[in-house]
Amino acid sequence: MAEQHILSGIKVVDFTHFVAGPHCTRLLAQHGAEVIKVEPLTGDPARGLPFVKDKRSGCFIQHNIGKKNLCLDLGRSEAQRICHELIKNADVMVENFTPGAMQRLNMDWETLKEINPELIMCSISCLGQTGPLSRQPGFDYIGQAYSGIMGSIGDKDGYPSLTGMAFGDVSTGAHAYGAIVSALFHKLHGGGGQYLDISLLDCLFSYHAAHVQMYAASDGAVNPPRCGHHHALLCPLGLFECHGQYVVIVAIGAQWENLLKLIGREDMLTDPLFVDLLARGVNQQLIIDAIENWLASTTDIDDALEKLKQNHVPCAPVLSIPEVMEHPHMVGREIVQTIDDKLFGPVKIPASPFKYSLFPEPLNLQAGTLGEHNHQILSDHLGYSDEQIKQLEIDGISAVANA
Amino acid sequence: MARKHVLDGVKVLDFSHYVAGPHCTRLMAEAGADVIKVEALVGDSSRQLPVIKEGRSGYYIQHNRGKKCMALDLRSKEAQDICHELAKQSDVVIENFTPGVMKKYNMDWASLSKINPDLVMCSISCLGQEGPLSKFPGFDYIGQAYSGIMGMTGQVDGPPALSGMAFGDISTGAHAYGAIVSALYHKANGGGGQYLDMTLLDCLFSYHEMNVQVYDASGGQMVPKRSGHQHSFVAPLGLFKCGGRYLVIVAIGPQWVNLCKLLGKEEWVDDPRFADPVIRNENRDEISAAIEAWLDTIGDAEKAVKILVEDNHVPAAPVLDVPEVMEHPHMVQRGIVQTVDDPKFGKVKIPASPMKYSQFQEPLELQASSLGQHNEEILRERLNYSAEQIASLTEAGVLGSKDN
Repeated sequence: MAEQHILSGIKVVDFTHFVAGPHCTRLLAQHGAEVIKVEPLTGDPARGLPFVKDKRSGCFIQHNIGKKNLCLDLGRSEAQRICHELIKNADVMVENFTPGAMQRLNMDWETLKEINPELIMCSISCLGQTGPLSRQPGFDYIGQAYSGIMGSIGDKDGYPSLTGMAFGDVSTGAHAYGAIVSALFHKLHGGGGQYLDISLLDCLFSYHAAHVQMYAASDGAVNPPRCGHHHALLCPLGLFECHGQYVVIVAIGAQWENLLKLIGREDMLTDPLFVDLLARGVNQQLIIDAIENWLASTTDIDDALEKLKQNHVPCAPVLSIPEVMEHPHMVGREIVQTIDDKLFGPVKIPASPFKYSLFPEPLNLQAGTLGEHNHQILSDHLGYSDEQIKQLEIDGISAVANA
Repeated sequence: MARKHVLDGVKVLDFSHYVAGPHCTRLMAEAGADVIKVEALVGDSSRQLPVIKEGRSGYYIQHNRGKKCMALDLRSKEAQDICHELAKQSDVVIENFTPGVMKKYNMDWASLSKINPDLVMCSISCLGQEGPLSKFPGFDYIGQAYSGIMGMTGQVDGPPALSGMAFGDISTGAHAYGAIVSALYHKANGGGGQYLDMTLLDCLFSYHEMNVQVYDASGGQMVPKRSGHQHSFVAPLGLFKCGGRYLVIVAIGPQWVNLCKLLGKEEWVDDPRFADPVIRNENRDEISAAIEAWLDTIGDAEKAVKILVEDNHVPAAPVLDVPEVMEHPHMVQRGIVQTVDDPKFGKVKIPASPMKYSQFQEPLELQASSLGQHNEEILRERLNYSAEQIASLTEAGVLGSKDN
């Protein structure tokens, strides 16, 4: 058989729901792994998230393409036995229940490593498996608040800004993907199975590229507040008004000189007020005024961006989602992927950011309906007879819904 | 012998600088890989970023622990020959120059794959190796602007808000880490080498867990817009003021009923204006007013969170600043902050790796190197250069070093 992708032959049993966990197992599926998603009888709550068409959720499709679907009442011992049988032959198990839930379902690491010592089990949670906050229900924005991310975005004296996307969920899913593949690599070299505890909190906190170190190393003297639309310490780095719109300008390196020449303010080059990065941060309002004055003198935002680019000053327009999707550069990179769902119809989603020269074409993957593969999985993977499968349905242990 | 970590034995040649690339190779070093960082004679620009102590940058230390350092004049043929020899015996090459620069140095994929067909090469860039925007210099915030992330954050009628941290750089580094280990796994299974084109743009765009799909599937009816401190599509999900502080409340699932009871608004449970999170969003001002009126009666954000979460199972959290995160008992117990003891700088606190492996619970002891610290060791041990050869390369200015 021709090889499909990097993780072809890897078997994953997936107990995830909403976004963080499903994004991780979607990445596994997009790399060729066989993913069996096990859902409770009520289904993953993401099946109700917008946009919903013909009872089918576009959001669910986005995060669940490429997974086979098994629908079971996980509270029942018969269902747990089926899961144990699947896990016995699996390489990877992923879950993102609130910590403690897997133990109640007899599927915690202590139980599963007895069944399959070579298993890689990855738990994804908001606040981690250990510590006083671990049992709290978590969502992306809860993790953003506890990691100091949310407190760093927005106006200094007003409400923090809510990011318009759950980047903690998606990027934690990507971290978990990296940890799982690392553990698979280790297992391939004879290292055996292991347990991974990946949390939004830890991932989001690692995004502080400077703040933690600066605060600690300055003995608390430097603690940048949230900074509105200009960087707290560096300038020019931020959003500048331009004919009623905004442009991003980042000129904290050698581009500073180019920028001053472009805006006709060579005098600032030798002015002690702007002698280095830190001085420019302190006197940022003068710089912002000079830049915005120049921006007002341009014909329009395109003219301004063109002039900045010609002078090698890093800059960008602030795009809306529709503008990103239509931008020729993004279209050329195929940043948007269209999934042709058999119920929903075509649905556009962000494509995988993993670009491999050996696998330039993404696999053609669909999202399953609830319990779509019950029969196939029970029959092909576990050798259940048609009668046994029927009986599970009659007993309410498994279910199939056409949505 | 037992493996020291998951990437034990993997050899990495690292041409990265600033944050996105160095974070990726830091993750590799933390996973046990042997990383050689090659810098220009002037060094990675991030060696100048604050805090600076004894000429050492705490910023550089954070993103470069666990790497051996060589400093070379990459424009010289001799330096390029050395890099080619190292690439020949490496598993991975990583770089994050502006697209085109590696070709100038004769170290693009076309050159290196001839020298080592089993190589995994990863380029990390802001906007990609190809396309109309690819040649422009990029930074995290440029990627955020082009991916629609920045436009989705901030006041409705005002400027977008600038995120206070370069999360695009770090999280793209983590994506690149995942792609590289995937390619290593493939190589270990006989798949050979390959080239990876990772970008901030693609990673950041993938963070739209709903926006792209909702805009498209609604036929353009639902246009995602930045929405201040409340969510664009669903309610209640946002920030609320309490006693001069802020807290976040997320009650878009069954917790809505608990919240209504807590607010003394049981009648809302059956009110069609609040039937689901999307409909509730149309009437969110009324909900927000009721929540903040209740919060006023509590007057203390920590206490309010306790009542919401522990007594009523409504997901909520206080908005912490970075020092508060570092001191929080939960974070302390998780070891979210790691202390690196630098020989010059002294102790420096950085975020610990979020990759938690049961087999490797203790992080490896890793230090950040000074510029060119391992020139001699690498040339001697990896490439069998003689002391004379090394001395003459140093004299010719092909090799360089600094003590910070």
